[in-house]
Amino acid sequence: MTTTGDFQKRLDRAREASARLKDAIGQVIVGQGEVVEQALWGLVAGGHVLLEGAPGLGKTLLVRTIASCLDLKFSRIQFTPDLMPSDVTGTNILVTSADGSRHFALHKGPIFGQVVLADEINRATPKTQSSLLEAMQEHACTIGGVRHAMEEPFFVLATENPIEMEGTYPLPEAQLDRFLLKVMVPSPTEDEMTEILARTTGQPKDAPPRVLDRDEVLAIRSACRDVAVAEPIMRFASRLVRASDPTTQGAPDLVKRAIRYGAGVRGAQSLVLAAKAVSVLEGRAHVSFGDVQRVAKPVLRHRLIRSFEGEADGITTDQVVDALVESVPARPESVEQAIRR
Amino acid sequence: MSKRPPSPTDRSFRDAFRSFSGRVRRRLALERMLSGAAIGLVLGAGAAAAAWQTRHGALRPWMAAGGAIGAVAGAIVARRRRWRDEEVALFLDGRLGGKESISTAIELDREDERDDPARAVVLSQATTVLEKANPKDARPRFVRAHHLAIPLGLAAIGYVSLIPLPALPPPPAPPPGAEQVKLADIKGLDKIIDLANTNARDDAQRKRLDKIAEDAKKLREKLRQGMEKREAQAEIGKLKDAITAERLSLGDGEQRQGLESALGKLAENPDLKDAAKALGDRDLVSFDDAMENLANKLEKEDRDRAKKTLEEAAEAARKQNAPDVAKALEEQKKRLEEMAKKNEKLKELGKALGEGLSEDAKEALKDLDSGKGGGKEQQKLAEKLEEALGKLTPEERKRLAENMKKRAAEMNGEEAPGEGPSKEQLQELAEELESEEGQKRLAEELKKMAEPEPEGSEEGERQKRLEDAQKGLGEAEGQLGAPMPVPVPGQGPGKQPGNKAGEKPGGNNGSPGSGGKDDGQPYAGHSEGGGPGDHKGQTGVVDGQGVKARATGPINKGKPMPGLVMGRTSGRAGETANIQGTGALGQAAAGELGAIERSDVPEEYREQVGRYFQPK
Repeated sequence: MTTTGDFQKRLDRAREASARLKDAIGQVIVGQGEVVEQALWGLVAGGHVLLEGAPGLGKTLLVRTIASCLDLKFSRIQFTPDLMPSDVTGTNILVTSADGSRHFALHKGPIFGQVVLADEINRATPKTQSSLLEAMQEHACTIGGVRHAMEEPFFVLATENPIEMEGTYPLPEAQLDRFLLKVMVPSPTEDEMTEILARTTGQPKDAPPRVLDRDEVLAIRSACRDVAVAEPIMRFASRLVRASDPTTQGAPDLVKRAIRYGAGVRGAQSLVLAAKAVSVLEGRAHVSFGDVQRVAKPVLRHRLIRSFEGEADGITTDQVVDALVESVPARPESVEQAIRR
Repeated sequence: MSKRPPSPTDRSFRDAFRSFSGRVRRRLALERMLSGAAIGLVLGAGAAAAAWQTRHGALRPWMAAGGAIGAVAGAIVARRRRWRDEEVALFLDGRLGGKESISTAIELDREDERDDPARAVVLSQATTVLEKANPKDARPRFVRAHHLAIPLGLAAIGYVSLIPLPALPPPPAPPPGAEQVKLADIKGLDKIIDLANTNARDDAQRKRLDKIAEDAKKLREKLRQGMEKREAQAEIGKLKDAITAERLSLGDGEQRQGLESALGKLAENPDLKDAAKALGDRDLVSFDDAMENLANKLEKEDRDRAKKTLEEAAEAARKQNAPDVAKALEEQKKRLEEMAKKNEKLKELGKALGEGLSEDAKEALKDLDSGKGGGKEQQKLAEKLEEALGKLTPEERKRLAENMKKRAAEMNGEEAPGEGPSKEQLQELAEELESEEGQKRLAEELKKMAEPEPEGSEEGERQKRLEDAQKGLGEAEGQLGAPMPVPVPGQGPGKQPGNKAGEKPGGNNGSPGSGGKDDGQPYAGHSEGGGPGDHKGQTGVVDGQGVKARATGPINKGKPMPGLVMGRTSGRAGETANIQGTGALGQAAAGELGAIERSDVPEEYREQVGRYFQPK
């Protein structure tokens, strides 16, 4: 039997650890609080995060900083058009042993890290991009017919640049769906920019301290999974995702007009998981409607496929998610009315 | 598996939640009851107003019970739609900012969720939220804007209950003609009842006349006891129709063709033109008069020709299966003969008496001789002759008889040319004058001839009676009063004072008639210039129930409209193609000739239609 004290302690530890991690990251990264927060949701929920932003906004630095703060194995893959799947996963190579005999030995690729930075992921060909699929979804990689499990925690942070479209390969929907969150990296404010200039134009500073080890990360993830979700909240998440499908009867007009395909089951799962991560980071043992609404944008924005009309009208998926959150009621109508009175 | 005892955290959460949920549910139920009461009172106020309008004054205060009924209905609805714990928890989370901790706790409080690692923490957090909350914050508002209808509804019911009931509406005006009429003595109807004693043409007519008489008798009885004016007028209308139909019954129906043939024959003789017109109009009285005139006017030859024409017309009618028409014509022929004979006799006697006649008698004789005179002159002459004969001495009478015999002998067996009596007539007259009995017979005959209104034909007499009956109906209608007003669109009240028309002297013989045009009374149908003005006198909507629409204009059933051709007309040349390739329709293709078989004309008619259009 679990007592109040056990789970409360786990929650407290998780909140304290995440606070430490945020502080450590904050020593390197100026501003971008929401981006850091959302990246941590991915880490806590056990999902992967896709960071999208213009060059020079600190995406790679953020990932490297997170990796530095975690006492985990870090690897980086710079995606280029000529990158081959085996360059990602690794391959069996012929090795001559000391006695002169030869045998094949597995040369593991960079995917076998614990924090993997897939930099500029949209520069690689779809073939290479898809080499990440198995690892991201199943936390395992099959090389030469042999399945190799990833070392936990396994956390992929990918970056992509939305500006340079030439020589890029947009991620296919199946690949995008593997990312728990898609985080948009905004430009820094004036104050943040000034602070960045002050920090980066002097002597390079020491790397940030390692504040979380493997066990702590796994404990936080475990606590996240144990967070309780009430049935109305799960129902709300389901309604949100169903309403993103333009063929659904109750879908908002904007969805019907601008969306070709909506989010699927994985999207609903991601909503709840991300909401749980938010609860954990706030030290709560339960999820609220607000948590679901808060994570809706990073969870759903890359899962909605716009229609021709939506693209032509310049309607972004963020606008559609806003419309969804606004139109789908969290509570039954009678309860909503009673609360408003 | 035994239930585990609740932990202190469980108990405190449950207690706190129960306390809040009870309050929430009670207030929600109260809100529904108030809503029900508001609806009930609004309906009750409406019902009270309706009770006031319909003058059910005692019911008005009871309409306040609608509020109580509404409240009970609201309570029932509240019971049926009572919130579950989950809904209350959601409400409390929303109101207290519990971030759904209470909702989650309610779920985790279930027995099967006891092993959930987050259970204890969530319950603890939810309890904390509930314990820290101000109970006032968790109360749903039970007073809503529409509850204002409760005091308003009560006030409305109170007001409606206190105000006096509306005045009774004036009783609706009776429909025109609905007033009762009671007439003890209606002489006009006696003439119709008398139709039962009129000779009938046949059994069918007998029955019809009896029925008319019977109906008139019933109407008289009803009028004696009192009946609605409109009903009486409708009955009179029916009788009028029946009498009119009877007047026009000669040569009607199957005998129509015979009548037409007889008319055709009569029309061939110009002397019988008036008679033909009278017969065509079924005016047998006029027919009698025409015959009388002919008897006076015509020369012997013309009379013979007229008799022959009458004979031929009667024959034609008989051949066309119109025995009644034939009978009437034969009777007219007989009357013509008799009247002519009588006429001759009078004239001869008058001439024979010569200077012994008074001036009046001489004038009448002159008129008769010139053919201008008619029945009146005949009567006058007959009267004077009777007087003159009475004054004659036996010697004078003898001499008169001898003169007549001499004149008869002079005729030498030949018929008198042109006019004048025949040899036999003269001899007969002479013999009558010679003997005492003959004189008496002649005097009787003259007396009879001097009587007014000589008898007409049987049909004519019948028609006369029917005419009298119709006049009697007019009198009866007059006794009833003015006919019912019939609304005429665009009519207004009269503004000019005028004389009352219809006040003709003549007592019961003349119909009083309706109000005159300019009497200033707002009669229906009365218009004086129209235009914008005071239309107060306009007749309201007439209730048509029981009012019989009927045409009162004379209907001539027997005579066809001028120019109307009975039967099938022959086509005019060139109008239709009756020869292949000719006619106004132009060239017809050979294939069109058998088109009837391909047409949608029903099969049973094809042969007939095809024959009609078949080119000859």
